[in-house]
Amino acid sequence: MSYPAVSGDIEVDREAGKGGPAFAAYIRGLGPANIIMGVITAVILFVFVAPFLLVIVVSFGEKIEGASWVWGFDFSNYIRVFVGVDWPNSVTLLYALKLYYTLAYAVLGSLIAVGFAFPFTYFMTQGSRRSQAMWLVFVLASLSMSEVFVVMGWDILLSNRSGLPALLKAVGITSWLKDTGWLAVLRDWDLASPRNVKFKTSQLATVLTMAYLVWPYAVILLFAPLSRIDRSMIEAARTMGAGSLTVLRTIVLPAVRLPVLGSLLLLFVYLLGTYVSVTYFAAPAHQTLPVSIYESIRGATLNAPFGAAQAVILLITAGIFIGFSLMLARLAERKA
Amino acid sequence: MTQKKISGRFDSLTRRDILRAGAGAAALTAGTSVLGMPAIAQERSIKIGSYGGYFEDSFKKHIYPVFTEATGIKVESVTQPNSSDWLVTMQQAAASGTAPADLSLYGKDTMIKAMRIGGLLKPLDVAKIPNASNMKKDFLYEGSDGLVGVGAMAWFTAMVINPNEIKPAPTSWKEFWENPALESSLGLSKQYDARFLDITAATYFDGAETLMTEEGITAVIDKVAEIKPNVALWWTAESQMEQAMKNEDVIGGMYYLDVAGLMAADGFPIAPIFPKEGNPIGYGSWCLSPLSEKSEEAAEFISFSCDPATQALMSRKIGTAPLVDKSLTGLSDEEYAGVSGEPYITPAYEAYLDKESFIKEKWDAMLAGA
Repeated sequence: MSYPAVSGDIEVDREAGKGGPAFAAYIRGLGPANIIMGVITAVILFVFVAPFLLVIVVSFGEKIEGASWVWGFDFSNYIRVFVGVDWPNSVTLLYALKLYYTLAYAVLGSLIAVGFAFPFTYFMTQGSRRSQAMWLVFVLASLSMSEVFVVMGWDILLSNRSGLPALLKAVGITSWLKDTGWLAVLRDWDLASPRNVKFKTSQLATVLTMAYLVWPYAVILLFAPLSRIDRSMIEAARTMGAGSLTVLRTIVLPAVRLPVLGSLLLLFVYLLGTYVSVTYFAAPAHQTLPVSIYESIRGATLNAPFGAAQAVILLITAGIFIGFSLMLARLAERKA
Repeated sequence: MTQKKISGRFDSLTRRDILRAGAGAAALTAGTSVLGMPAIAQERSIKIGSYGGYFEDSFKKHIYPVFTEATGIKVESVTQPNSSDWLVTMQQAAASGTAPADLSLYGKDTMIKAMRIGGLLKPLDVAKIPNASNMKKDFLYEGSDGLVGVGAMAWFTAMVINPNEIKPAPTSWKEFWENPALESSLGLSKQYDARFLDITAATYFDGAETLMTEEGITAVIDKVAEIKPNVALWWTAESQMEQAMKNEDVIGGMYYLDVAGLMAADGFPIAPIFPKEGNPIGYGSWCLSPLSEKSEEAAEFISFSCDPATQALMSRKIGTAPLVDKSLTGLSDEEYAGVSGEPYITPAYEAYLDKESFIKEKWDAMLAGA
């Protein structure tokens, strides 16, 4: 709808004056910008805040064994997250363990992604405008691939008969590993079966796939700050005899410290919710809280309240992590 | 609630009466039925759910066309991911007011769960399902307000092996625990209710009886924990196990008898086996959504499904076991042996329902080693 038509609608409201003279006067005093802001606020409240509150309310619901669940006000779902359903007869740290894997994968995944994206983007920004544009298009294009697509690709790459293990076997590396005893070492690291090396299932494959998923975001987040670095400073340092590492340490890193931290935090939060990669590449023993949340809500037990309680705990933990990192960043800023 | 249901039924009756009257009027004005009746016949249709993949494809290819030819009712096939996830979908559909399918295919425990939740199954009129008399009584499921489910087929979860790798073929499930050559070689389902607990209970304990107490459940799960070093894959989707058997990522495990038979027929190295403890049996049932206005069509389809000829067709084309007496189906001994077997393990349905949170958490903790 065009702009005049919108103000036309407001005219109609003025005529109707439903909310009494005070309200009418208030509305009359509002410009179109205020009204648009009001509408946007209402939409945000409805689309973002309402589902959020619903999850919290559902998390207090009561599970009925053998059926579904009912609304309620019950803390047992939260207690279960920490000590298990059989408490106080027995205690299980199952969900704490899942939370640990969730955080560990997200931290490692974001660190690896930023670790690879940083040098890549740094050298990219030093290239010509043409090559920069080409790389950016490539990175943006890889962003369009969904998690399912990426996982499928990695699945083929890591499979026993079609991927890396088959290649290693064909060129004789597998039999060399067996002869030298390295296969036994790899088995201790969960990277081999008695017959061959294996990457599925392994925590290595899980973390690498997650890092790959967010790597394009890391490049895009770091591109602007890295390309804004003053080249003359680097050249000056160089002419004064600083090596590449010294330049990196004293000029580049301090200039992009905050964007790097910001990227890490954003990717960390993004990776907390990873589902497909984990279900595919992590053994059940090493799976994460999002998988458990999904199973509670959509799985055979129909236990949405317990799923919601796990989600709330995950959210709070993520909040604590982010708050803690921001606090550290602020401390570092103050010292610098 | 009851009031609402009754008025709902009257509404649909009135609607149908009007339709019938309209059809009659159309037939009268047309003089002959040539113009009027086929137009009405074409409008008859029904949406039927079944498990996606090879299973649903076989229904679309071999079963629905026969039904449409016999009755003129068109079938729109709806993909169900499985039984229990579909119940969640139907539960949400009940809240929103539009059902994605008229008839759904539910496993026995899911159907019992739907009965307990209430408001998710519409009673069927047994008088309109003449072929139901062919069924054993156990497969006609009565809820508090009448017949709510009719058996569709039986399926087995079987022991499977790669016959090139495991020689000789095992005769007992115990070999999966005890054969040292099977280290990191098996594929088992990751789901707590995929019947491996029943297999373990039947192999090492007193079967379903043992799963009735929490001590029994814990003992069975502790026994499952002992097989973990031999398991290379805990699969969640059917296709994962299919790929793993084809890739030789695993060389044995548990899998559906029907799909295993098909894979073997396609030349893949997989052989389903009936060990001496047996394989777990599962039952699928047709259930009608309370939002459906196709009670008549649904009754016709269910009656068609109960026909021994249809049961035999499903055995031949899909690989499921018939729910009517074998002598009625005309299946040869060889055909029957391909879709069924003895002995079979009856799952501990009550335990899975009454202690579901307990079993799921103990099972998950066993998998996680927590």
